[in-house]
Amino acid sequence: MTLAIETNGLTKKYGSLIAVNKLDLKVKRNTVHGFLGPNGAGKTTTIKILVGLLRPNEGTVKVLGQELHGGKNAGFLQSFYEEADSRLSIGYMPELPKFPKHLKGSEMLDIYGRMYGMTQQQRKEQIPKLIELVGLKGRENDFIGKYSKGMQQRIGIAQTLLNNPELVILDEPSLGLDPVGMVEVREVVKEIAKEGRTVFVSSHLLFEVEQICTDVTIINRGAALVSDTLQNVSGLLSGPAMLHVEVAKISDTIVNAVKKLPSVSSVIQTGNTLRIQMTTHEDTRAHVSQEITRSGGIIIGMSQKTSNLEDVFIQLISKDQGGKPQ
Amino acid sequence: MTTTRTNTGRPRPSWFTRFWAIVKYEMLWNIRKKKFLGLVIVAFILATLIWALPVGSSAATGQPIEADPNFAVTFSIPGIGSFLFALIIAMNSISSEFESGTIVPLLTKPVSRTMVFLGKLLATFIIILVTYTIIFVYGVIGGALVYGPQNNLHLLPLGLLGNILSTFIWITLILAAGALSKSTIISTLVAFGLFFGLFFAVPIVSVFAGPSPVLNYLPGGGASGTMMTTQGQIGIGAGTDSIGANLINYALYPSATVDFNMTRIELQGDQPRITQVYAYSEPISLVTLRSVATAVVYTTVLLIVAWIAFKWAQILE
Repeated sequence: MTLAIETNGLTKKYGSLIAVNKLDLKVKRNTVHGFLGPNGAGKTTTIKILVGLLRPNEGTVKVLGQELHGGKNAGFLQSFYEEADSRLSIGYMPELPKFPKHLKGSEMLDIYGRMYGMTQQQRKEQIPKLIELVGLKGRENDFIGKYSKGMQQRIGIAQTLLNNPELVILDEPSLGLDPVGMVEVREVVKEIAKEGRTVFVSSHLLFEVEQICTDVTIINRGAALVSDTLQNVSGLLSGPAMLHVEVAKISDTIVNAVKKLPSVSSVIQTGNTLRIQMTTHEDTRAHVSQEITRSGGIIIGMSQKTSNLEDVFIQLISKDQGGKPQ
Repeated sequence: MTTTRTNTGRPRPSWFTRFWAIVKYEMLWNIRKKKFLGLVIVAFILATLIWALPVGSSAATGQPIEADPNFAVTFSIPGIGSFLFALIIAMNSISSEFESGTIVPLLTKPVSRTMVFLGKLLATFIIILVTYTIIFVYGVIGGALVYGPQNNLHLLPLGLLGNILSTFIWITLILAAGALSKSTIISTLVAFGLFFGLFFAVPIVSVFAGPSPVLNYLPGGGASGTMMTTQGQIGIGAGTDSIGANLINYALYPSATVDFNMTRIELQGDQPRITQVYAYSEPISLVTLRSVATAVVYTTVLLIVAWIAFKWAQILE
């Protein structure tokens, strides 16, 4: 499968600080790829290299099949060459984007549209659609200087989609948004993904990544710790599951019956709740439920706790930091 | 017409379409700046005063205004005016984009940095050209109404171009300082320091060491001299601030000579005696050519510095 983004040995140094350390990143086409890492892990630096704002010290970068920054053996003069055309197929939203305050929202989209080479007709059709998509209808003729942080974020998403990009790169798209705005951004990202585009999104919000991403890369100190599908990454820590069952009128018969199940390791009763430690990570709720009912219990509620992306993230980062908690 | 395609298969938009988008972006930025609008208003007030004051004076004293057919060809933007226009227009052009972070969305569009740089430069040129033209036309029309019919109006475009060239030295200096420092404060301080440093240093040096031709190779007013013409003696500035006036003077009096004097201070008893002593002469052709060449060299070198700094800049924030 051809890759939307491919980096090999990508390294970026700021003096003695290594921001990106021999990063090998592979982003498949038509996926929503989450790029996770703690603050200062090198996410934004990597993204800035991908969009041409920074030059790497070492390594190669390919975006949509095109080699950037002059390739591996680029000399001084070659690295002067810019692949402006490669950005025709990329939509990029920076972290906390800042747009020219002297322009009106629709005016800015029109000027950026011209930079993408869009015809007047294309701009006329596309801009109102995007304004509506990001919920700025009625405010498009206000100067951006009068926009709130959330509105700037919204116009940022609109300019990202202006050119119908094949690859959408979003750097912390929910940063600075209120909860409603965050939900809206997630919906927009899902919509973009449905249209068959590749989305590469960096985020601190692990639950957000879990909801929208198909693939995940976790980096720390500039290097990738894991990169796989979300399912595989989440399953990395799949230990035995824990069931919490709320039962009306718990009796010893019920507790003993549950304990006898082969997949149960231990049972702790706290009030009306049974905390059942399983021996497997598989979903055993049906068996447990059947046994409790057979023993005369009435189940009020049941939940199974399994490891999630957050658990994986914290464990991987802690391990990489030498066991120190985040 | 064939459409070229990029490596990703998309049609490559024309260079001009993208370039003109940057010019529009930059022009809108400039003409909506309150600082710029304020300076234009001040320039119009000053241009008005130039011809309104004699009218007021005439009305007060009852003396008729003497006709001056050469008013138009001597109309010019003074050095400090050029500097202020350059400062107001260029101070935000590059450094402010870095400071505000607006450079990020701009440089991630399919436009090269060279294209952005040239677009900003063309927008600056257009704004200066239009602003100066309007001020010139306004001043000249007002002058013609006050001082009567004007001679040699065909030379006005020459004066206009000269004024633009004078302004571009400061524009390119501010762009270069802005691209190198990515700071509006630093680029403004550099420009202010250089302009006012030379503004005060050149006359002082001229007094004590004479109007050395070296002064004429620095941006600014340069050495001051006088030139005898059919219209009488006129003052000549040999520096880059006076390119517009010098081009017109050269066109009108191509074989004239500019005399430079130096100030001598002697003590007569306890009293200092200040006299003007002849120092040297230069043909107006040389004075004009040198100021133009100096301006072109400064502008070119500073442009190259600004372009390399902008092209090479890494966007960290």
